[in-house]
Amino acid sequence: MTPPHNPFIQADGKKPTCMEMLQVIIDGEASSEQQEYFKNHMNRCLPCFKSYDLDMAIKRLLKTKCCGGDAPTDLVDQIKMQISQNSPG
Amino acid sequence: MEETLIRNNYSEKEKNDIFNGEFLPHINSMYNFGFRLTLDRDDAKDLVQDTYLKAYRFIESFQKGTNAKAWLFRILKNSFINDYRKKTKEPSKVDYQEVETYYNSEDVNRQITPDLRVESLKDMIGDEISNALNSLDVDFRTVIILCDLEGFKYEEMAKILDIPIGTVRSRLHRARNLLKEKLSEYAKSMGYKNTEL
Ligand SMILES: [Zn+2]
Repeated sequence: MTPPHNPFIQADGKKPTCMEMLQVIIDGEASSEQQEYFKNHMNRCLPCFKSYDLDMAIKRLLKTKCCGGDAPTDLVDQIKMQISQNSPG
Repeated sequence: MEETLIRNNYSEKEKNDIFNGEFLPHINSMYNFGFRLTLDRDDAKDLVQDTYLKAYRFIESFQKGTNAKAWLFRILKNSFINDYRKKTKEPSKVDYQEVETYYNSEDVNRQITPDLRVESLKDMIGDEISNALNSLDVDFRTVIILCDLEGFKYEEMAKILDIPIGTVRSRLHRARNLLKEKLSEYAKSMGYKNTEL
């Protein structure tokens, strides 16, 4: 049996470490082929599985806790007013 | 995004359409970015206002229908560095040489914070994650914001920040580890013990 082709291998043929593969995944840069490969890898690699779980949980927490806070309601009006004052005519 | 010399001759109506249809929809993301950079709501407001005025002034170098969000983020980042940071004299403390060395070292497979657990994150329902993010040095904070909050790709981040993709990658790697260190400090102070050691 030949091992499945690793889509994380770079043009230079260097085999990526677990951490390198994980970062591609966490950073949202993985192709669907890479995602598929990593999902399989993760099922056999406990460190990857745990790190993935933690990193994704942090990512979700960041998104829910640090994204809120809409711009002040008067900001758009102020910007539009400034532009109309500055433009000719 | 490139410093191209292309100038589009937009009519007044086209300018307004681009501004209202492509620029203004990003106002909340822009404000959040401004706030996370300055850590001050008034400064964030000024920074965003300034960014939008610049965007309008240079609207002819923006190609209609392209990545307006990345274009705007780049202007805001530059305004922050050139105007705000100079004013407040906040120095950049990141040692980039150190970052690169770190990333290329043999340590990359070592788990930095084995004591941080997913379960302990579940108790961070207050400002812990926000405070942890804000405590990072501004350059590390920025890559986390761009990647995790705003979903920018390496290539877009490289253009927004004017740095090579390799640096984006290594800076993100370092930033994530620093954030985890911070979070594990919080977790510890919340009473979690490392039961694995
Ligand atoms: Zn692995």
